[in-house]
Amino acid sequence: MRFVSFRPASCVLATAALLLIATAPSQAQTRAETLRYVTGAAVNTLDPNIPGSTRESFALSMSTYDRLVAFGRKQLNGKWVFDLDTITGELAESYDVSPDGLKLTFRLRKDAKFQDGSPVTAEDVKWSLDRCVTAPILGKAQLLTGSLTSADQFKVVDPLTIEVTLPKPDKLALPNLATVYPMIINSKVAKEHATADDPWATAWLKEHTAGSGAYVVETFKPGEQVILKRDEAWNRGSANKPAFFKRVIIQSVPEPATRANLVERGDADIVVDLQASDVQSLEAKGKLKVISTPQYNAITFVSMNNQMPPFDNVNVRRAIAYALPYDDMFKAALFGRGSPLFGATWPDGKPLNGVYPFQQPVKLDLDKAREYLKAAGLPEGFSTTFSFNVGQASTAEPMAALVKESLGKIGIKVDIQKLPDAQMSTQINEKKLPFYTEGIVAWLPSTDYFYRNFYTGNQRWNYSSINNPDLAAIAQEARFEPDKAKYEEDGRKLNAMHAELMPQIMLWQPNQDAVMAASIEGYTYEFHRQVDYRDVSRK
Amino acid sequence: MTTGLGATLVRAGRRLLSSLPALFGVLVFTFLLMRVLPGDPAVFFASGPNAGKEEIEQIRKQMGLDKSVPEQLVFYLSDIGRGNLGRSMMTGQPVLKDLRERLPASLELTFTALLIALIFAVPLGVVAALRPGSAVDHGVRLFCALGVCVPTFVSGLLLIYVFYYLLGLAPDPTGRIDVFASVPPQRTGFLLIDFLLAGDFEGWWAACKQLILPAVSMALFVIAPLARITRASMLVSLGSDFVRTARSVGLSWRKVVVTYALRNAILPVITIAGIVFSTMLGANVLVEKVFSWPGVASYALDALLSSDYAPVQGFVLLMASLFVLVNLVVDICYGIADPRVSIE
Repeated sequence: MRFVSFRPASCVLATAALLLIATAPSQAQTRAETLRYVTGAAVNTLDPNIPGSTRESFALSMSTYDRLVAFGRKQLNGKWVFDLDTITGELAESYDVSPDGLKLTFRLRKDAKFQDGSPVTAEDVKWSLDRCVTAPILGKAQLLTGSLTSADQFKVVDPLTIEVTLPKPDKLALPNLATVYPMIINSKVAKEHATADDPWATAWLKEHTAGSGAYVVETFKPGEQVILKRDEAWNRGSANKPAFFKRVIIQSVPEPATRANLVERGDADIVVDLQASDVQSLEAKGKLKVISTPQYNAITFVSMNNQMPPFDNVNVRRAIAYALPYDDMFKAALFGRGSPLFGATWPDGKPLNGVYPFQQPVKLDLDKAREYLKAAGLPEGFSTTFSFNVGQASTAEPMAALVKESLGKIGIKVDIQKLPDAQMSTQINEKKLPFYTEGIVAWLPSTDYFYRNFYTGNQRWNYSSINNPDLAAIAQEARFEPDKAKYEEDGRKLNAMHAELMPQIMLWQPNQDAVMAASIEGYTYEFHRQVDYRDVSRK
Repeated sequence: MTTGLGATLVRAGRRLLSSLPALFGVLVFTFLLMRVLPGDPAVFFASGPNAGKEEIEQIRKQMGLDKSVPEQLVFYLSDIGRGNLGRSMMTGQPVLKDLRERLPASLELTFTALLIALIFAVPLGVVAALRPGSAVDHGVRLFCALGVCVPTFVSGLLLIYVFYYLLGLAPDPTGRIDVFASVPPQRTGFLLIDFLLAGDFEGWWAACKQLILPAVSMALFVIAPLARITRASMLVSLGSDFVRTARSVGLSWRKVVVTYALRNAILPVITIAGIVFSTMLGANVLVEKVFSWPGVASYALDALLSSDYAPVQGFVLLMASLFVLVNLVVDICYGIADPRVSIE
């Protein structure tokens, strides 16, 4: 009798299995044309300009909207990375820079259409750029770095030509137009949804798209997943044809171990935010393609507050720089996956070149560290705290333990402080942390940009709170320096000052480990550090 | 019997009214607690590569943080009165919408887990109580101990490793439904019910498969308290006078154990089940994270880490209301299981 009662259950199972087998072939076919990307983060807005938007939202907007221009790509040690120096047209068919560098003229593609079928005109471009510099959105601060500040600078010449004028010949004006924010919006559609309070339709564009990009948003579940459908008419790719994948699924999977399982079993196609330990074991198994690119526009620091005793003393900062166990930290935090920014040798004590970030001429040398401490008048050492945020615990925690141990040997007592992310950013902004680890990233990595944004002013990104008028003046001068040799000379000066003053200690540039199915091709490391879905294809 | 039921309902209504001040207290307390926490959400969310002072001020204004705390509280309470829980910075959506979409996911998971736990725990407890000190009793004790001492995320990861990674039996542990499958028209938000209503049995089975592993890993953790309490109260009721009498008059084994002993022993189990349910709903954040389950607990945790006030406050209010509801249901169940309770 007992066995009879189990029969219906096994029947259901068998039927279900049959159904699954029956539907399998049709699914497999579309699976090859679908890209499934999993991530620990999530898309929270369809307009990357909204304050609070995530990096995933940035990446999404690259595929849903076009810009006037785009970065080219180049090979760096055999891996494709974005190329800041090659700027190609995206919506612009061609562009000219006037000889004095004050006027940029863009001619639009005649065949470019928005996703609703209407043509892209110079009016749309002007409206979108005006929005970027006028509306209270993120684009404003970004375009400011390229001397683009006012709507008067954008002029419609004819329906397919737009002119941008600059107050100074700014090298970063053109690259700025290729970044995430100055995307070109269908102004007719957006204006329909603008209100008196919200003339730039920010509320509507947060949840809807009106662009000319390669992909159309099919479903958008904030915090969970986004499904994209290819726009068949899009032809702004390098080969003048639509993007490869018919569908793209962007899915949030918070647990890193699960993401690793998914990509290893072939259920996910590409992932860029795995834990270093998982990447190493997946690479060792050799079934998947692992492309590791040093994030050459990002840096991880150990920062010291230069305004706060005892770190206001340059000898204390030097002592710390010689007391960090760099190699052990590099192995423990990143499993050596990155490029180190320590341990250089400068033969004549001068920087090797004028490029920032550079490898610093420091290494673990406890005797030297003790000497510096003595020179600072603190031979017995002191006590301090070392902070990091919870979000970076997997790399920062082992690192902090090593810092504590090593500094203990020269008499500096370190308390490790693990802070929730919001609390950490608040304290950094208020300049309350004496000693901590953090990272930075620059979309447009040039030496003067780094020094101006991360080493000057009383603002959040000046982690070390350094206030050195000479350094600020040289960085400012370098910004508009047209002569390459002089620019290089300025860079060398700045780097020499960095090594001398030791405001903070550069540790390394972590790798971006993109792990993907063996069939995926074309992955490129982009400035926004996410996958550009238009780059990839399947063999 | 009708008067018994009526009395239970009156009692339930009175309970509901008396819980309103507590709910209000929770509301104000959470509001103040979030303001006292040292993180500044405006700074956190203004973290684009170029966000400066201006952006921070703007977000502060957008979130209403430029006003004084008492003013904010008044605005907040009047918003709540109009059914507006505010907007989440994290997802960019109204909190009410987020919670409405995510609560069914959490409830479905928790109900299933509780059901699985009860199906296993009650018989295990009864069997253990019938033969105290025997090998069966020790076996149950060992099983319970193992269930409790393995944290849910460990059992979750282990289950994924075995059933998904090694054996390939389970579907990929990413949410409530396979990304390639289509979603049924939303009626209740409970996928199992929605699929049944739509008559899509293939979809129902797919949703069921997604649900099994997370529900089992949650159930493993709560089987122990339920089984232990069943065993303890069964022991008491098996040793009581009425069971001895029932046995002596020669009633069948089944009637003695199920009708007399178990019915009397079930009250504490219902109480514990109510508490376990409320705890599971809030505490299943680890399971939700491991299985990418789009539930309310992981939503609240993310919001808390980024100091996103509105979702955290909304979540606490939701949990408090659910707690009140669960207590009510437990009360009503008491009345049904033991008519004496409603007499007061």
